[in-house]
This record gives sequence, structure tokens and C-alpha cells, in this order.
Amino acid sequence: MAVKKKFPYKAAVVACNGGCRASKTPDAKCVYGCIGCEQCVIACKFGAIHINDLGVAEVDEEKCIACGKCATYCPQNLIHIHECANYIVVKCSNHDKGKDARAVCEVSCIGCGMCEKVCTAGAIHVVNNVAVIDDSKCLSCGMCAVNCPRGAIIDTRGVLTGKY
Amino acid sequence: MSTFTVNGVQRTTNEKKSLLRYLRDDLHLTSIKDGCSQGACGACTVIIDGVTCKSCVPTTDRLDGKTIVTVEGLSDWEKELYTYAYGEAGAVQCGFCIPGMVMCTKALLDQNPNPTEDEIKYALRNNYCRCTGYVKIIAAVKLAAKIKAAGAIPEASTTDWHVGNRVHRLDVAEKVLGYGQYPDDIYPEDTTYAGALRSKYARARVLSIDTSKAKALPGVVAVLTAEDIPGENMIGHLKHDQYTLVPVGELTHYLGDAVALVVAESMAIVEKAKKLIKVEYEVLPAVHSIEEAKAPGAPLVFETDKSNVQAHEHISRGNAREAIANAPHVITHHFETPWTEHAFLEPEACAAYLDEDGDVFIYSTDQSAHQTLHECQLLLGTKKVKVQNALVGGGFGGKEDMTVQHLAALAVYHTHRPVKMNLTRAESLLVHPKRHHFVMDFTMGCDNDGKILGVRAVCESDTGAYASLGGPVLQRACTHAAGPYAYENFEIEGTAYYTNNPPAGAFRGFGVTQTCFATESLLNMMAEKIGISPWEIRYRNAIRPWGVLPNGQIVDDSTGLVETLEAVKPYYDEAVAAGKPVGIGCAMKNAGVGVGIPDTGRVKLLIEKDQKVHIYSGASCIGQGLGTVLVQNVVEYTGLNRDDIVYERSNTWYAPDSGTTSGSRQTLVTGEACIRACRLLKEALDSGKTLADLVGQEFYGEYLAKTDPLGANVPNPVSHVAYGYATQVCILNKKTGKVEQMIAAHDVGKAVNPLSCEGQIEGGVVMSMGYALREDYPIDENCKPLEKYGSLGLFRAHEIPEIKAIVVDKPGLNVAGGAIGIGEITSIPTAPAITEAYYQWDGQRRYSLPISGTPYKK
Repeated sequence: MAVKKKFPYKAAVVACNGGCRASKTPDAKCVYGCIGCEQCVIACKFGAIHINDLGVAEVDEEKCIACGKCATYCPQNLIHIHECANYIVVKCSNHDKGKDARAVCEVSCIGCGMCEKVCTAGAIHVVNNVAVIDDSKCLSCGMCAVNCPRGAIIDTRGVLTGKY
Repeated sequence: MSTFTVNGVQRTTNEKKSLLRYLRDDLHLTSIKDGCSQGACGACTVIIDGVTCKSCVPTTDRLDGKTIVTVEGLSDWEKELYTYAYGEAGAVQCGFCIPGMVMCTKALLDQNPNPTEDEIKYALRNNYCRCTGYVKIIAAVKLAAKIKAAGAIPEASTTDWHVGNRVHRLDVAEKVLGYGQYPDDIYPEDTTYAGALRSKYARARVLSIDTSKAKALPGVVAVLTAEDIPGENMIGHLKHDQYTLVPVGELTHYLGDAVALVVAESMAIVEKAKKLIKVEYEVLPAVHSIEEAKAPGAPLVFETDKSNVQAHEHISRGNAREAIANAPHVITHHFETPWTEHAFLEPEACAAYLDEDGDVFIYSTDQSAHQTLHECQLLLGTKKVKVQNALVGGGFGGKEDMTVQHLAALAVYHTHRPVKMNLTRAESLLVHPKRHHFVMDFTMGCDNDGKILGVRAVCESDTGAYASLGGPVLQRACTHAAGPYAYENFEIEGTAYYTNNPPAGAFRGFGVTQTCFATESLLNMMAEKIGISPWEIRYRNAIRPWGVLPNGQIVDDSTGLVETLEAVKPYYDEAVAAGKPVGIGCAMKNAGVGVGIPDTGRVKLLIEKDQKVHIYSGASCIGQGLGTVLVQNVVEYTGLNRDDIVYERSNTWYAPDSGTTSGSRQTLVTGEACIRACRLLKEALDSGKTLADLVGQEFYGEYLAKTDPLGANVPNPVSHVAYGYATQVCILNKKTGKVEQMIAAHDVGKAVNPLSCEGQIEGGVVMSMGYALREDYPIDENCKPLEKYGSLGLFRAHEIPEIKAIVVDKPGLNVAGGAIGIGEITSIPTAPAITEAYYQWDGQRRYSLPISGTPYKK
């Protein structure tokens, strides 16, 4: 590990699964998603964030110290801090109603509430049309991830879902 | 099609199902336990590509190319390593969570050979354990890391099985490696599956039941209703008041009532058939609460009763009214405690079939096989029933009442085919009786020195849809409300009300968890009023040997409350001196049923052909470690070696009825019966016979724990043969407001196995940290419980504080080698101790559990 970190580890997470990468409609643009502006990359002193092949910011949890600077610089306001031990994360920030969110991205959260229904811990809720996980309650089982009809919730370890 | 590797073998499947179901049903890898199938409990944890996953979550189609490891796939070295570490640390109680915990241990140590305590807690934190409080599991992981680094497994710290030694429990290996069988691990050949259609309404009259469409569904073997019951439809633990299947024309009492039973070739067909059963109901207004139950003109839960009162107690000794009227210091307050779910890791399950004698044979997970036998015999109208306890994945009182056993027996009776019947976790949360919700008004009067002059109290409980153990729970709540103190004037009136909520019954503490919260909280308030410390007020009032309890009983030499107070004092004083918020609580709890009810322990020692002593007793080991206790007794009182002794699980055809595992009674009552049998065997051995000479001989021990009934016309009635005493202290971190340390000193008479005692204490403390700080069981307007397993508020591994368990041995009890049961008391003084600590933290008194305004939000 490049920097000394305090356990339990925390890191930034970019709540966007790849912007409009999967949209069938080429012109459709998600106004909530990552725009690849690199503000976060510039802000990070630790080289813990980069723009990936999909054109969106991605955090290297090994390097990230959860200082939150990237989050303050993000013009889309879609970066937040999570506990690394909670490897199930929502990778979408689209606050539009289901139909509109669906139209601009194939991996968007449409606020259908399936995750809420299958969560045994009451740890995930749809807030403003997008799923949000409460770290303190989450049991990291991934039931929400495997039942999400949109693939908007992922297992960052890449076991229960793909890594992206 | 999906191809993946399981324990080194490549597997291919076309069927999409959860990995849990595939591993259990197709590969019969039964170390993977089905505790909820909802992703909550963690009992099904496996390792996929090096990291832990709950196997109920992913479906087989997602696993192409993955590598899966279960406990069965560990190397021999790993198997030995984890069996040793978990045994040496005392980490195994009921064992249901253990294979999942072992998987977490392996995944952690494979990546991080030298983890810190926090890292260990985090590795375990997505898996629940309800028995151990995690303390000894964490210790097992630490130990495993150390041994793994050293590369060699050491000798056990003791192999001396005499009483008083910390030997590894006898069932560690089968529980760590997952080959020990709980009922759900039994897959009879050609088995059917059964499931109950439950009432749609909490209170309704069943007008008609049409099962024709369900019966016509291919794969359905039988659909049974009340008409198919050959014997008594109504059964119950004490009072036979609960319909096995609600007949047409009768009332339902709660949403867990079974209306029809479907038996089919698969669970999928059972579920499909349930939807095809048409039931017409006349929906009636339900009773939701104590208030509604006692309101004039309230709907009656039992329509033939005159009121909703299920039980009433009035206990009075001395003159509490006058004593309080003359007391210089008087405090009165109202207290409330919530419903609590047992949340044992193993949901109710059973497997049953017709055996070679033509008897209905039931593999059961319950707290008394003999109780199950009697009720099933009544239901079927035949004596031809046998019950065998499999491993029991935790009970805590919640498995005293039958839930699936009788329905499975009925299925076998009709179909003559084997059957498996399990409750889903959602059904389990609804069906089995819970801890009673209590509302209480207490008044305490003290003199200027803080000596209690008198206590008066009124308490009411919501006992839900059926009697279950509501009466005895109320009685114990009332008899123990006085607390472990020496004073003469005590009066309490208690009433239990039927409602249409799920039934309430036995739960570790048995009513005392509720009234103790009130008494101990009042005592804390009184200490402040008088200007002495909460420790001091207890020390001044504490019952001492040959003192008289408020119930009139003269206590014996084993009475160790003062010793528990003294044991915690250095910790208490140090924390107070350091300015930390500190709280304290005391408790007493009976061991044995008491109050004049026949309470008999029975043990047979049979020398079998293998020239070993086999211990047979109809007493359930539900994870508390009874088997180990009995074996240690046999070693102690016969002088035989551990290897000469075999513990047999409870059954009903050879093991004699030794009563229900309830009331912290088995170590004492069955323990004494065992010692009596040992004396006979010892005589035979001392006469020069060897075990080989004694093959086929049986040595029988019986012990009747004789007590006086309540209100007995004697000056000093013996209500219980023994009481355990305890003091617990809660120390908070002033800055964070979190519990930093719990100190729990318990007088156990003689600790048969101190390691097991500590495990009970730690588990009881953590269970009641939940009760005090977070757990509840809300019920909606349809009398439906709302929470799922993962949202009950159970404590997780990373949330536990340091727990210091102090086992106080105090001789004086002249039976069972001086051993007093410890099962329940561990959970009793915790809540008032924690509540007082929070008062010291923020100056707010709290009168209702779970307490609010703490960092432990649900």
C-alpha cells in the first residue's frame, strides 16, 4: 500500500457505471453521469483516481485515503466515500424517473425498488429515484446486486457481478 | 449451461438455482447451512475465487468459470487447524453458524496471515452468531493465525475431562467441519416436502377450504386439512389451545395459523399448490395490543373465554403498601420492554418417515424430544411415534413449542412417505413464540441508608395468540421482580393478555429480563436519590447465605451475589475514577422449574457392545453444551476415561424423559441424575468388574428437584432448588458514547466447564446488548411482524465491546456437584446496567427498551 491507512479502510466511489456507454441511442446523454472531465484526477494527490476505458472516473481503493477531495471537485457531484469492506456499491446517480433514466443508459438505476424488496437488512433505499446503500446496515450479501434488473449495483470484487 | 469448480471437481449444470440449493440439494454438501436464504445470516458462506460469498445469493448461471470452496474442500491440515482452534477457543456452541465462520477465517488468513483484531471482526461481520457473542470466534481466528504461522498443531491445553476443566466440547469437529447433522441435513430417500398454507388474516372465521385444484396439481402427494387429523387437533406446550390445522367454522388467532398442509415432490410444487387452495374467510376485528385486549367489549381471541386474560398472578408477602407509605424515600415509574425475536441461526426444520416398526419417526430440532412425542401422539391418536433430536441450531426458548414436527408427522401418517418440512426464515419470524412485550409500573420505598423497605408493582404482558408458556413466564416475571435482595415487603400483580399478535412464550430469561429492567432501574434511581453509588446500594441490600428472599425462601451457602459484586468492584471503581460513564445491574435466576411442579432429571448409562458407557438422557443439547457437561460428570464420578464414554443425543424410545431444556435446568437437574447413575456404575466398577464385564447392563439415575408451590402454607417455602446470581457492569467510552467494556460476573456454584460458562456469559451479554440498545420486533396493523432477519438489529462482530466474563465458583449446593445452570441469567442484568451507563453519559433517564439516544441506531 502506497499510503498508511487507518482500518477500517474507506475510499471514494464513483457512482456512475460508465455514463452513456451502453446507450442504444447515440445522442442520448445522461446529465447525471461522469463526464470524464478529470477534475477529480487533478485534485487527487495520491494518484488514486483515473479515467478508465469507458471514459469515467475510477478509484483505486488501494491508493485512496478517503480524503474526499475528488468529491468536492466533481462537477457532477457523484463521488462519495464508502467503507471498503462494503464491496457492494450503487454505480449510478441518475435522479430521473425510471423511463427517462432507462432511455439514456442501459446500466442506469431506474428506481424500481427491487433492491429494497430483496434487502434483508433494510440497508438500501431508493432516494430521489436512485438506490442508496446505508453502509452501517449493509451486510454485503449482494442480493440487491444480483437482483438488480439493470446491473446498476455491483460487487467491486467482481464475484457476484462484473467489476463494472 | 454453467461450468465451475467445487472443491476441486469440475461441475456443470443447466439448471438455474441459487448456489446454496445446488450445493446442498445436488451435491449434498451440507456444511453449507440454510439459515435464511435471504443473504442475512451468513451460515451458507462459501469462498468463491478467494473471497467469501453467501451462497444463497448468486445463482448457478452467474458462476461460469468460478472456483468454489466449502468446508468439505479444505485440506486435511486446514480441517485439523480450524477444528483445534475453534475447540481450544471454545468458539462452538450450537454450531450452525460455524462452517460459515470457518470460511471467513480461511479467506481472511489466506490473504492476511497476521490480522489485527479489527480486521478479524470485519472479516466476520457479515455473519451472524446468536450463541457466542463472537468473542470466542474472534479468539479462534487469532489462534488459527498463530498456529498456521507456526505450522504445527499443539496439544490441547487440557485433556483432563474431570469437572472444572476447560476441555474442548465433544461436538466441535462435526460442527466445524459441517458433517454433524441438523434435521435439514437429512435427505431421506424418495422424500417429499411439506409446507403449510397460513391464515390470510390474524382474526377471521374460516368459512370454507377448497383444496381440489391443489390436489389435482401434478407432483402433489397430499393436501391435508383439519378433517385429516386422526387424533386431537388442538395441541400446545402446556395448554392444548392451538389448532394444528384450523377447521372450517373456527377462528384463526394469528397469521401463523396453518389452515392446510401441502405435501409434494418438491418445494416448488408445494408453493405452487398453496396458491391453488381457496379459503373463504369472514374477516373479524383483531386485537392488536394489551390496551385493546383489556378494553370493555374487546373482541375475544378465544371466543369461548369470558375475557382476553390468559393468566393472572398476585404475589404478596409482608405489607408492601404500608412499608412504602412509611418509607422516607419512594420512587415510582412506568417501564416498557419490547417483543424480541430469538433469531436462532437454524430455522425450524424436521425430517420424518415411517420406520421399520411402522412408527412415525421424527428427526427434530427442539428443546424436548419427549414433549414433541407426547403432542404428536395426541395429534395422531397413536403411540406409534418416535422422536430423535438431531443437532439443534440454537433455541433460547423459541424451540420449546412445536412448529413443524407435528405437521411433518401428520404428513407421514397419511402419505407413508418420508417428508422434509422446514420453515422459511420469514415463517420462522412469524410462527414461533417470541419474548413477551411487558408494560410495568413499579414503586420502591427505601430508608435513609438505601435499604429497600418494600416494592409494589403491576405488570402486564402481551402473550399473543396462544397460551404457550405465557403463564409461567408471567409467574417468573412476578416472582423474580423483587430482585436478589433481602427485604420483607413485596407485592406484585401481573396479567397476561391474549392478542392476535404472534404468540409469546419462553425466551432466555423467561420474564425476568423484563421485570429486572424495572427493579434494577429503580434501584439506580434510588441510589442517586439517597446519595450512594449504584454499587453500594446493591451491596447493602444483597441477599447473603441464610438470608430470606422476599419470596420467603431461605437461601443456602451457594448464594454468591456478594461475590459477584466484589468481583466487578475493581473494574467499576477504576472506571468511575477515570470519569467514565458506568452502569451496573444485578440479577438472580432460578435453575430448575421449581414452584412445586414435578421436575425430574433422568439418565441411563448403558454399557454397549463397544465396551463403552453410552449416556442416554431425554434432555436436549441446544448448543449450551449439555453433552460435554454430562461426559465431564461421568469422568468425575466414575473415574473412567473420556474415551470410554459416548454421549448420545436425546431420543424418546431409550433415553428417559429428562424434561425440557428450559429454566437453566439441565446442568443441575439432569446433571444430578447423571451423577446418581454414575454412583451405581462406580459401585459396580469398584466391585472389581470391568466395562467388558458390564456389557448390556444399564445404570439409571433419577433426581426429583423438589420444591414448594407458590403460596404454600409454610413459613419459608423453597420456590427453587437453586438460584444463580450475577452482577454486570457496562462502561462507556465518554467520547463516542459506545459501549467500551462489559464486565459480567456470574455465580455458577461449580463451573463444570469454565470455558463453556464464559461462552454462555459472552453470548448472553451480547444478546442482551441487542435487547437493550437496538433489537425490536414491530408488528403492523394486520398483526404482521415487519422485520426480516437482517433488520432485527442483532449485534454484529465488529460492534461488540470487550467482554470480561468472570466465573465465580461458590460451593454450597448439595446436588449436581454444586453446579447451577447459567443459561438464562447471562442475559438478565445487561439491559439495566447499560441503561444506567447511558444515564451517566448524558443525564437522561430511559424507561423503555431498546433505549434511545445512543450511537446504536437501528
